[in-house]
Amino acid sequence: MIDIENLGIVFGSGKSQIAAVKNVNLQVAEGESYGIVGESGSGKSTVLRAMVGIYSHWTGTIRIAGEPLKAKRSVSSRKHMQMVFQDPYGSLHPRRTVDDTLSEPLIIHGLKNREDRVLKILKEVGLGPEFRFRYPHQLSGGQRQRVAIARALILEPRVILLDEPTSALDVSVQAEILNLLSALRKTHGLTYIMVSHDLAVVGHLCSRIAVMNRGEVVEEMSEEQMRSGDVQHDYTRQLWTASQGYDRAALETFKEFA
Amino acid sequence: MNEMKMTGFQPDDPNEDPLISVRDLHVRFSTPKGPVHAVRGVSFDLRRERLGIVGESGSGKSQTGRALLRLTAGNGTIDASRMMFDGMDLMKAGAKTMRSIRGSQISMIMQDPKYSLNPVLTVGTQIAESCRRHENVSRPEARKRALAMLETVRIREPEKVYSLYPHQVSGGMGQRIMIAMMLITNPKVMIADEPTSALDVTVQMQVLSLLDDMVRERGMGLVLISHDLNLVSSFCDRVLVMYGGRIMETLDAKHLDRAQHPYTKGLLNCLPRLDGKHDDLPVLKRDPAWLNETQDLAGEAGRR
Amino acid sequence: MMSETALEQKSGSTSWLLADSPKNAFQAKCQRVYIGWMAFRSNPIAMLGLAIVLFLCLVALFAPLIAGGDGTTQDLANRLAPPSAEHWFGTDELGRDIFARIVWGSRVTLYIIFLVSIIVMPIGLIIGTTAGLLGGVVDATLMRITDIFLAFPRLILALAFVAVLGPGLENAVLAIALTTWSPYARLARAETLTLRNSEYIMAAQIMGASRIRVLFAHIMPMCLSSTIVRLTLDMAGIILTAAGLGFLGLGAQPPLAEWGAMIASGRDYLLDQWWVPTIPGIAILVVSLGFNLLGDGLRDVLDPRSSGGH
Repeated sequence: MIDIENLGIVFGSGKSQIAAVKNVNLQVAEGESYGIVGESGSGKSTVLRAMVGIYSHWTGTIRIAGEPLKAKRSVSSRKHMQMVFQDPYGSLHPRRTVDDTLSEPLIIHGLKNREDRVLKILKEVGLGPEFRFRYPHQLSGGQRQRVAIARALILEPRVILLDEPTSALDVSVQAEILNLLSALRKTHGLTYIMVSHDLAVVGHLCSRIAVMNRGEVVEEMSEEQMRSGDVQHDYTRQLWTASQGYDRAALETFKEFA
Repeated sequence: MNEMKMTGFQPDDPNEDPLISVRDLHVRFSTPKGPVHAVRGVSFDLRRERLGIVGESGSGKSQTGRALLRLTAGNGTIDASRMMFDGMDLMKAGAKTMRSIRGSQISMIMQDPKYSLNPVLTVGTQIAESCRRHENVSRPEARKRALAMLETVRIREPEKVYSLYPHQVSGGMGQRIMIAMMLITNPKVMIADEPTSALDVTVQMQVLSLLDDMVRERGMGLVLISHDLNLVSSFCDRVLVMYGGRIMETLDAKHLDRAQHPYTKGLLNCLPRLDGKHDDLPVLKRDPAWLNETQDLAGEAGRR
Repeated sequence: MMSETALEQKSGSTSWLLADSPKNAFQAKCQRVYIGWMAFRSNPIAMLGLAIVLFLCLVALFAPLIAGGDGTTQDLANRLAPPSAEHWFGTDELGRDIFARIVWGSRVTLYIIFLVSIIVMPIGLIIGTTAGLLGGVVDATLMRITDIFLAFPRLILALAFVAVLGPGLENAVLAIALTTWSPYARLARAETLTLRNSEYIMAAQIMGASRIRVLFAHIMPMCLSSTIVRLTLDMAGIILTAAGLGFLGLGAQPPLAEWGAMIASGRDYLLDQWWVPTIPGIAILVVSLGFNLLGDGLRDVLDPRSSGGH
């Protein structure tokens, strides 16, 4: 479904040039849920943003269902891939009601039966019709994230990119959103790529996981490998250890990976 | 103190007087939408230990920490039948006394160092200034101490970092600098409000190990406020679980599995686990009755 | 007080306005306005400003009823009469009733405010948001043009424009507008730059929204409130500039009653017949103050940082 070859993105020019993503290769099958784990600055979000066309100066090839993507997207090609962002407070327009937010993609793509579609999608993400005319500031963090998921889903895309969708939420809300995401994947046959810094969250939702550090994929592992801690690269091992909680002894072995 | 280090930590030594003792703490805010009761009768003692306060957003955990320093926002009021720090009554202390306590005896670290550091001064100057504010030392002496403190918080090139501005340092280093600034006055109690949640996991661990050292070596009392139950339980000696402005349960961090309260259990269960399965996560069901439960008063629940 | 008791009686409509789940888009918009109004109402200074501005509007609307004359009728036998029961504010050097002229002058003032607003806001908003969103060469070009306009003192530039266009009220308004829009473009650009990278703008782009749609539907509504606040606060300056041009004889032409021109023609009589220039001066002062107070109050209500957040 998704085939990324040799993806590279460079920011800045001259001396301050930074290669944010170097030579990344990913293959994701249809209906699969793929995870990318890394720390801040690892380039994991940059990969997603290149895929949806927020950055257009990438090099390499990105194929979705066999179709290579161009830097400039047509409006109709946007339908196939949507994204959910990290910050539920920043990803909804503060001056628009839920209805405005959800209707807009339908207007852009000229789809009919807007009211029915909005009500249907609200129901699917577990929000009743009473939420339809609320403003974002009248919603809790979890409810906002549900609206953001609904906005991504309303165009009926085949691929959804999730950029740390739960890291700004309380753990109990995180559990609800993760459950919602896995249920939606099953009912719609969606393909996910999820980016997170949290190994446990990625491991919960994804069957294969790539570990990124400084713009490169250092290791790709299966869910079983990750659960058992059967990892090859030292960086992955360090990340894995740190995710187990505070351990004074293990800390002494930590080092920087350049 | 040496002995304590050798024999390992005794978090709950009943013979030791608590550093901080709080009974029936209430924090209320008056807002345009009506009064908000953020903290509803919290009681606990802090000794020379690592005490964790865990809760979700709106549980009152941060307000509890702020109330200890009387840093509650202007529209809030603090009430407590007892709030003692090292033999001093914090409820009766005047504004001037509180100012001298803040920073020099009780320090606070916030989540984002970017907002706590002055952007137009070098970090070294700020640490040295903080030293000079609380102690009467010369400038060169303050500089020397600041450099030593940067080394203590394991910054590799203290001389170089000393002359950097806050925007030139990374998040992890910024948090270490904050810790250095807070520690230079040798406080008895440190309140850390989500000190690591903006940091990467590995950096998070390194910052925590630093706080750990300070508790062990200086006999400091540490209050770690966080939303991350796993992290807090792996780091702290004792954990208070808060919900709706109340303490639901006080736990020995080593034995989280002995948690009795449904809220604590729910919090633990809804976390995805590295060794878990793909099944749906159990969802936390909140019971309004929890807010009216009569508490195991006086925070002595931990002693059992 | 009146309105409060009225609201309490109409508890049905209040609950409609404060309901947690609005039933339709109209109710949601009304609620938003109502909550803003509640915040605004709790600020007495801002309410005073609003009262002054509303009063100005009412006076302008009912000028023919209030003035009791057209304000241009001369009565040379009764020139420079002090305030009296017949002429509340006295008469000027041509025996015209100053009260009537002040009342008619409010229309001129409102006319200036209205024209300047509808010229300045769109120009400033469109130039600023376009520059901010598109960036690059477009940004550089538009901002340099803005800088050129910013570089001249406002009154001097307005004088130059009027000198070219010829004296008259419309030309004065045009000149004021042309010299006022540049800070609005800067303001809108600065806001656009911070909005451009926000996640909701990204989300709109990902769903395929065109740049025009992003500009008009997403960015402009966010910039609008700060522009309105700024314009309200600037209104005092605009009124004063208009009065200044009028004073110099480059604005409204006689016999049209314009407050600035009234001061200009009355300035010779300041010592002996103080009311002739002082009354229009007070009128300008009160209206400027009213707009300033209103602007301060609006800023508290409309500021996206205070209403958009948690």
